[in-house]
Amino acid sequence: MRNDYNTARPLIMHIDLNSCFATVEQQARVRLRGRPVAIVNRRTEHTAIITASYEAKACGVKVGMRFRDAKKICPDIIMLESDPPKYRYVYHKLLKIMNDYSAHVRMKSIDEGVIDFSESTAQILGRDLKDVGMEIKHRLKTEIGEAMRCNVGLGTNRFLAKTAAGLHKPDGLDEVWAHDLRNMYGSLKLTDLTGIAHRNQARLNGLGIYTALEFLDAPVQVLEKQVFKSVCGVEWHQRLRGWEVDKRDFPLRTVGRQYVLEGGHLTRQQVLERLHHLAEETGAKLRSQRMAARGVAVYAKTYEREYWKARRILPLPFTSDRAIYEIAQQLMSGGAPTASLREIGVNCYELTEDTDRQLTLFGDALACERRLVSAIDTINNRFGRRTIHSAHTLETNNYIRQKIPFGSTRYL
Amino acid sequence: MNDETFLNERVEVVATFNDGLKLCVPRIFRQANGREVRITKLGLRHPTVVGRRTVHVFDVTDGQADYRLEFDSERLTWHLTREGDHYA
Repeated sequence: MRNDYNTARPLIMHIDLNSCFATVEQQARVRLRGRPVAIVNRRTEHTAIITASYEAKACGVKVGMRFRDAKKICPDIIMLESDPPKYRYVYHKLLKIMNDYSAHVRMKSIDEGVIDFSESTAQILGRDLKDVGMEIKHRLKTEIGEAMRCNVGLGTNRFLAKTAAGLHKPDGLDEVWAHDLRNMYGSLKLTDLTGIAHRNQARLNGLGIYTALEFLDAPVQVLEKQVFKSVCGVEWHQRLRGWEVDKRDFPLRTVGRQYVLEGGHLTRQQVLERLHHLAEETGAKLRSQRMAARGVAVYAKTYEREYWKARRILPLPFTSDRAIYEIAQQLMSGGAPTASLREIGVNCYELTEDTDRQLTLFGDALACERRLVSAIDTINNRFGRRTIHSAHTLETNNYIRQKIPFGSTRYL
Repeated sequence: MNDETFLNERVEVVATFNDGLKLCVPRIFRQANGREVRITKLGLRHPTVVGRRTVHVFDVTDGQADYRLEFDSERLTWHLTREGDHYA
């Protein structure tokens, strides 16, 4: 553990597309540029906004706000339904540009990524990395479109690079050196720091830490033993000083899909059809990662803010949609709320690699199912997703749309 | 709420194929009713996959409305799939 600040040259670059989905739509639809735009997952007044353009944000529109409320403060706002293939294309273009500068590129989500220059060529390292940042911004405009903008941050670790990228939005470019640290933290609130939301803020406030600078100056013992009560305290102490503690990958632990129902009026049968659709999508995601699961968890939320969940674990791993749905259906039948359901979800857990397993003594049925699932996947990969699916989910295609994979880039 | 029209109309397209970053740019398209639209700007071109088929999606404008044209690279067909003039 180091108590000093990391004085090395900032070699980590964080790139963050500004209001990504809204900007991509403004790029695609020329006449939307300069106008307040809200991207939603469903074309209703009650839906929540998943991205707002900077013009909408200037009116006070925030991500997560209901469109109906946004319309009150920004009457000219334009609602657009999300278009995942478009965003996926921009993601791959950005990744391709970033890969030209280093072999160590990691996309953190669909709209942000990190370049680690520490093992880059002498030619790249001989350049001012702020120039490289400007070049990437320029390439984004020429190779995708002139409306594309991104924030670029340079720091000695991933945390500082991301923090630097957020200093001057939109279209900023900032570099943070050790000697800038105190100035930078002096201008930030605790909740401006990535990873410090209201609960962590409350923890810090409880120990008399109210500002980012006080957080920086807090002794490691206080952070470890009193604030976070775990090794997280030590990691925060290091992270704030520019030492790398976030260079790690997390294994896949759960695969799932959730859905906000069209209304609280759906019959039990209709809810089960949607649950089946979610089980099919979960199964497809599971198999795309070549994983098998042993557990299924389901949850339901109601309009009365009731939250219900149930889970079951089986002795043998499974991958088929049918297996997932059968367990999910049994769980749902075992006490889930029936009236005014707002949201349902299915998750698979206890994941293992789906290698060719030894068949059980009575494994013929399992082997048949594996071959059937494999044939269905082959057809769907050849002719398009959901070419073959259960007849039970015939109606649900109109409602449950393809989703933007936030957070993870595994499915992009 | 904005108004967009979702279509699946086969159209005739004149496009140019170029060097550089914008390899294919649709310039004019004609609908079944004879209406001709002159494209003034290409916003974005992105590929989508339908199984193993690649369909190139072109978001374009004629200055009056936005259009989405889709070129099926296997079947060599153009379709007008969306029209929006909702933010005039």
